[in-house]
Formats: sequence, structure tokens, C-alpha cells
Amino acid sequence: MADPSSHLSRRDLLRSGLRGAGLLSIGAATGFLSGREAKADSVWQINPDLCIQCGRCATECVLEVSAVKCTHSFGMCGYCKLCTGYFAPEPVNLDEGAENQLCPTGALKREFIEDPYYEYSIIRELCVGCGKCVKGCNMFGNGSLYLQVGHDRCLNCNICSISTACPAQAFVRVPADKPYLLRGKGKTPGK
Amino acid sequence: MPDDPTNSQPPTGEPASPAAVRREFLRHVAWAGGLAGIGGLAGVAIKQLMASAGSNTKTARPPLGAEFTYDVSRFQASDPALLRYEEIARFPVGLARARNLAVAPDSAIFVCGTGGIRKFSAKGAPILAIPLDMPVYSIAIRPSGEIFAGQAGKIARFDASGVAAGVWSDLPEGLLPTSIALTMDAVFVADAGNRVVLKLDAAGKKTGVIGARDPARNISGFVVPSPYFCVRMGRDGLLRVTNPGEHRIEAYTMDGDLETFWGTASFNVAGFCGCCNPVSFDIFPDGGFVTCEKGLPRVKLYNSAGEFTGLVAGPEAFPEYVKAANAGTPDSLGSGIYAAIDPAGRVLVLDVVGGTVRIMQRKEQNHG
Repeated sequence: MADPSSHLSRRDLLRSGLRGAGLLSIGAATGFLSGREAKADSVWQINPDLCIQCGRCATECVLEVSAVKCTHSFGMCGYCKLCTGYFAPEPVNLDEGAENQLCPTGALKREFIEDPYYEYSIIRELCVGCGKCVKGCNMFGNGSLYLQVGHDRCLNCNICSISTACPAQAFVRVPADKPYLLRGKGKTPGK
Repeated sequence: MPDDPTNSQPPTGEPASPAAVRREFLRHVAWAGGLAGIGGLAGVAIKQLMASAGSNTKTARPPLGAEFTYDVSRFQASDPALLRYEEIARFPVGLARARNLAVAPDSAIFVCGTGGIRKFSAKGAPILAIPLDMPVYSIAIRPSGEIFAGQAGKIARFDASGVAAGVWSDLPEGLLPTSIALTMDAVFVADAGNRVVLKLDAAGKKTGVIGARDPARNISGFVVPSPYFCVRMGRDGLLRVTNPGEHRIEAYTMDGDLETFWGTASFNVAGFCGCCNPVSFDIFPDGGFVTCEKGLPRVKLYNSAGEFTGLVAGPEAFPEYVKAANAGTPDSLGSGIYAAIDPAGRVLVLDVVGGTVRIMQRKEQNHG
């Protein structure tokens, strides 16, 4: 017969169980937080010098409306009257009429500054990240419009679905404390 | 003492031995460490699952519709009936990146860019090389053979044999001389950095500024969004200057009065499209013009009144430009085209992407 003193009492069992559960919880919390800490060191971004404006940023993001948005480098922009990022090829008139605009969602705003200069800015809520305006600017202008991942919206997925679909390998990891790859004297997106 | 050494329970009524207490302690530590480790791994796994959950929950979406595609393909082919010239030869310029060209009165061809200056015969045979560290953005040649080379912040001069003859550097800050025109006693420099044309005397001293915004003189100012800004001297004594942001060529007196201008903004072949066209031009002896455009790479002909008369070369003659533009790569940025007319009436086209000069001759002339 076994020695009764070698058996665990109910109290001991509960105590051990609670202690084990507590230790497991502490370990899980530590692992979870350490994983989060390591991941926040870098974020996804688009290298504008590699981007070919294929349109996949608009369709491949896990968000319903992509985290990728057009960004404008005001320091580079020529403030052109005829902006090929704003106007459709061969517009009817050089004014803000919808029929003249290139952007299918009307996400570019044109404001008169002084003759003959106009300022163009992005309405981020309307931008879907298709890159159509970027292509127009690159083809005829100086590339002051370009795409960037907006970190106000990006979920920073481990495996970014746009990066896996990007045919130009333009998606790169960048330090979280410098999350944008700005062209020229660029302003923060949306500012 | 119990027979089983792993049984750490001390016998009832007997104090635990130090060895048993140590074993008990180590056993608890091992258990705790193991449980914490398992917990840690589980935490990391949960985090990974949560992070990758996004890519798994993505719903399939169709590709973007045609309204999201930038398509200018209908403008990238030209009507063959408009072609007035054909290419009869081309030669490599041997520069890391060519940026401009000029023809001397003796028909010698000069090309400048990153790497310096190269001189070629009218048939394209190399004659002279002037290696320079700083890129040369513009070049002009006097009948004496004196060479004027525009570099950032200065104008460098060389004699006909390529020996340095001096530098004019007491010029406005930010000078980016993208084009130079010469008269007997003046040098006109298109300064893309300051968006004006500088008038210099024979000693390089600034004697005037042309094209600065001045509503009182009805001068709206030059709009130069990118470094393409060209000046030429007409035989009628008027200075011709591109205003690329306004898509026109303007005529000024040498004192800076705006006399006239021509040019319209349009993707169609008779107009100038994009933010900054024409990027360069030259003037025929009869006052007509040859113009060059980027974006839609076109070399076109206009009469002295600015009416479109035909093409020297259409976009199909520059497939590498079109390919880069359609691909949306940054290669499409900064790829200008430059043209100069030689004394024989041939149009020399500098293909920056290909690094060659193309010699274009009028079709009827070529076919006798």
C-alpha cells in the first residue's frame, strides 16, 4: 500500500494548478509582448524609385480601401497649370470640371495660387492608391506625385499581401521611426 | 529514508534533509521554467497567428477597371504621312549621360553631359574630348571655335583646341545653365534654376535679365518645372525662349521686351503636352522651328509663324523612351531630347536614353 503522505492533497493540487496557470499566463504575456516589441522595429513602405504604378496597391491590400495613398512632394512640384497627374489626357478645359480630371475618385484637389501656378493636394479619404495620377506625373512631369503606405491605416501585417503581389519588389521594410521614403523636400502624407 | 530517491516527501515527523530540500526546490524551478517557456512560445504563436490573420482574411477583388489605367497609347503613334525626315546615320556620343548638343558654323558637332564635352565631325567621327568632372548642361560655339560650357553655377570657356580659357562664376546663385545662345557681343544663358535668361557681355558680366515676371511689361515669367529651358538667337534679331510650363516659345528683344509667342497645350501632334514642353528647339535659316518634347517623345517642325508643318521623328522612333514612360519607372524622368540644325539643313537629334546622335535628313532631299 502506498504511503498516504505521498499523495497530493486537494489543496496542494489546486495550489500547484494555480501556480502553473499563473506561470503559463506570465510566459504567454511575455512572449506576446516581446513579439510585438520586435515587430514594431520596422514597417512596410514603398520605394518610389522602384514603383511602377501597376494598380495592385489598390486591390491587394487586406483593407477594404487600401492603406497605400498618393503622396505629394510640394518641394518638387512645378505647380503647373497643366498637371498631367490631375488632368486627363487632352482635357476639354484646363479647369476643375469632373470631365477634365484624371483621378476616377476625385482625390486630387487643385487650387489657384497665382498666375500661372496651381497647388495640388491629395484628399486621402478619397484616394484608393491606384497610382494613375503618379503615372501621369512620372510620364510628363517630374515625379512629385508618388505612392506611400499610410501608417495611419496600415496594419503592418507580417506578410503584407501587396508586397507579395508587387511585380516590382517595391515593398520594403523600413525603420518604424522613419516610416516614409519621401521624395525631394516632401511633406508628411496628408499634411 | 525512502527507497525511492525521487520521492522528495520527507517521512512524517522527520525534518527534511538539505539534499531533499534542494531537490524539491530544483524540481519546482524546473516546472516553473518549463511552464513559463511553454507559455512564452504560445504567446509568440498567438501573435504570429493574429498578424498573419490579415492576409488570410483578404477577400478576392477584381483587377482595376479601365478608368484606373493611365492610357496615352493613342498619342504614342504618329501618322507616317507627317514624317518629313528620315534617319541616315547615328553615332554614339561616349558620355555617361549626354545632356545637350550644338553645331559649330563649320558643321562640327559638339555634345556635352556627364563626363565633359565631345567634338565630332559632321559625319560623327570623334575629333576632340574635353573631360570634365562636373556635368555640362549646355554648350555653344562661336565662329572662332571658342566653346562655352554651362555647368552648375558657372560658364566655363575653352579655346578651339579644348584648352581651358577661363570660367565665369560671378553669376546669380542657383544658376543652372541649360542653354546658351551667342551673338557677336553678348551671351544669353537660360537659367533653369532662377527661371530667367541672363544677358552677359563678352567679359561674362551680367548686363541684363530677360523674362522675369513683370506685369507692367506684360511678362508673366517663365514656368520651368523641370530643368528644360532653351534659348536661341533668331536671324530676325529676336531672342527665342521656351516657356515650357506655358507650352510656348516666346520672342524677346535683346532688351527684354516680349514681342510675341506661339504654342498651345495639347496632346495632339500640333501642340505641346505635359508639364514642360517643348524641352528644346532650334531655328532654321528661314525662321522655322524644330522642337523636341519629352513624355511623348516627338521632334516636330513649325514654320516661322508657329504653325505645325510635320514631324522629324514621332514617338515610334524612340521606343526606349516610350517603354520607360509606359513602365512608369523613374527612367522616364529626365529623359529629354535635344535637336540642332547644321549648316546643311540636317536635324541632329540627341537621343539621351540611347546615348547617340541621330542624323536626320529631309526625305525629298535624301531621295534627290
